[in-house]
Amino acid sequence: MSQWLAHVIERAAAVDDWLSPVRAEALAKLKEQSWPGRRTEAWRYTSLHAVEDLSLSTESSAQAEAPAIAGLDALDLVFVDGRLTSDLATLDLPEGLAIRSLRDKSDTAEQVFTQVKPSHHLFGLVNDVLATQGIVIDVAPNATIERPIRVVNFATDNVESHTRVLVRLGENAKATVIEHGSGTGHSLNTAFAEYDIADNARLEHYRFALHQGEAIHVGGSHFKLANKSRLNSTLIGYGSQLTRLDVDIIHAGEHAHAKFNNAYLLAPKEHFDLHSTIEHAMPNGTTEENARGIIGDKAKAVFNGRIHIHRDAQKTLAELNNRNLLLSRGAQINTKPELEIYADDVQCAHGATVAEIDEEALYYLLTRGIDKQKALVMLNFGFVQEMVFDMPNEALAEWLQPILKQRFEDMMERS
Amino acid sequence: MLTIKDLHARVEEKTIIKGLNLEIKPGEVHAIMGPNGAGKSTLGYVLSGRDGYEVEQGEVTFKGANLLEMEVEERAQAGLFLAFQYPVEIPGVSNMEFMKESVNAMRKARGEDELSSAEFLKKAKEACKQVNLPLDFLKRGVNEGFSGGEKKRNEIMQLIMLEPKLAILDESDSGLDVDALQVVANGVNSQRDGERSFIVVTHYQRLLDFIEPDYVHILAQGKIVKSGGPELAKEVEASGYAWLGQADEGEEA
Repeated sequence: MSQWLAHVIERAAAVDDWLSPVRAEALAKLKEQSWPGRRTEAWRYTSLHAVEDLSLSTESSAQAEAPAIAGLDALDLVFVDGRLTSDLATLDLPEGLAIRSLRDKSDTAEQVFTQVKPSHHLFGLVNDVLATQGIVIDVAPNATIERPIRVVNFATDNVESHTRVLVRLGENAKATVIEHGSGTGHSLNTAFAEYDIADNARLEHYRFALHQGEAIHVGGSHFKLANKSRLNSTLIGYGSQLTRLDVDIIHAGEHAHAKFNNAYLLAPKEHFDLHSTIEHAMPNGTTEENARGIIGDKAKAVFNGRIHIHRDAQKTLAELNNRNLLLSRGAQINTKPELEIYADDVQCAHGATVAEIDEEALYYLLTRGIDKQKALVMLNFGFVQEMVFDMPNEALAEWLQPILKQRFEDMMERS
Repeated sequence: MLTIKDLHARVEEKTIIKGLNLEIKPGEVHAIMGPNGAGKSTLGYVLSGRDGYEVEQGEVTFKGANLLEMEVEERAQAGLFLAFQYPVEIPGVSNMEFMKESVNAMRKARGEDELSSAEFLKKAKEACKQVNLPLDFLKRGVNEGFSGGEKKRNEIMQLIMLEPKLAILDESDSGLDVDALQVVANGVNSQRDGERSFIVVTHYQRLLDFIEPDYVHILAQGKIVKSGGPELAKEVEASGYAWLGQADEGEEA
């Protein structure tokens, strides 16, 4: 047993709020869990050694401003070390949008909390029992919320924190939600988000997991799609001492469409682990997932892409593509496709590759007078930049592009 | 400008160019016509220095220097431009960053200052307009999702932006309707300044109605079998390539 987990269970007993009955169930499940080791499939390539006996402060009084993004004009909700520092009372909310604290009892929170996220995620259960602060976003049926809603999640130094985001989109509703996390200090942050997307609703979603250095970040974004709903999600991840994300996309209704692009850029020695699970439980759903990774020297990436097509999910169309670029011999990727198909009338494709340079593209750039070294940088970075170009929100793409480019150039230099 | 003497070149094990001679002076426009499989595209690739295209014999001098000893990017920086018949798509690299990098590489090679972002944008806007490409194409991936015609116009836009000394147009007319052909031809003609030279490679005479060549050469079986003035293109138009005594050999290497 890990001392840290024993301490979590101890602390959980002291949590007392309106969600206590649900938390108690999660706690019971958590107590049944054994500490994951190398033989635990979900943690096979990611060691939890750094967390096992971790002891950090749970108190913080740090303040931080949301990073400015030109042209984004988002409604910002800021968490610093798990504390909500934004004043919800002063938010200028458009019609059809309600934003509440998880502390306050609400129907939405009751309907969404632990109802979308599968309960097998160990750290998800930890978050269930300890995340007393969180945000509940409610978009009314037929409402279109033009301003993106951004949840900023900072982790500072020597602090453990837990944040939770619950989102419900009513029928025909439309919204953009950005989960924007970062931190460089020695910290542990768990951040889980659950999205319940009703019939015909459309969610544009971004998760930027920009934790670096000594930060330990474990979290997930989980989506339940009802009939004819649409999800367009982009996840951009750095590695850190340990970053682990779980994404579940559950087709709970028919004719839903999910697009999930993700890209990870690992600087030397960083660790990044993404487990994505696409559950097609109902017929006529489509999913397109593109995963791209660039891995620096002595860095390690883990990508596990699971597609599960249930017996009733006829006429499903699911594609998952994972491409990785290793910048040196010391870089490592463990990529594992998992296909489970129980329906007989489906189209499903799954590919994982370690990429090589496209010689024809290189030749083309050279014929335009671009030096070989520069051309290689452009092509290598282009591989991830494609995911940025594909983001529907231009302000976000324009903000992110130079940041990622700079990180990539530093990675090239150090690899 | 360019002197090719007794050039022999092969792709993998197959010799495609078999003793080609050509002399191009500044400001001249040379058309190279010929049946499929004659080695037309191969010539462009060999001159640009593409990997896998090996020179077996002969000399190529470009502005007094030995072209064959130069790397691909050095040839480009020296002023050699190849407009591709089938330009490649590079989805993750934007036209904007690609063109900017390219234009500045050329300017640097010519000893000129790099363009500022504003200067670049102004120039790019003008070039876009000239070849009838919407400005937002600059934000898109290089040739990504472009139609055949858009790709060809993008090549001509690059020609305008890069200001080469010698441009080789490899079947810039193929797959274009008359309107698109006119746009491409106008773009090319706007760059004729009495100094810049052109090699216009084409299967059909059609393009030469719009870009009038000074010389026309017929390339067959890896060498130039006949040279003449613009009237030679009309002859080809009238009689095809059958007089060469060989059938088309299908797709070109």
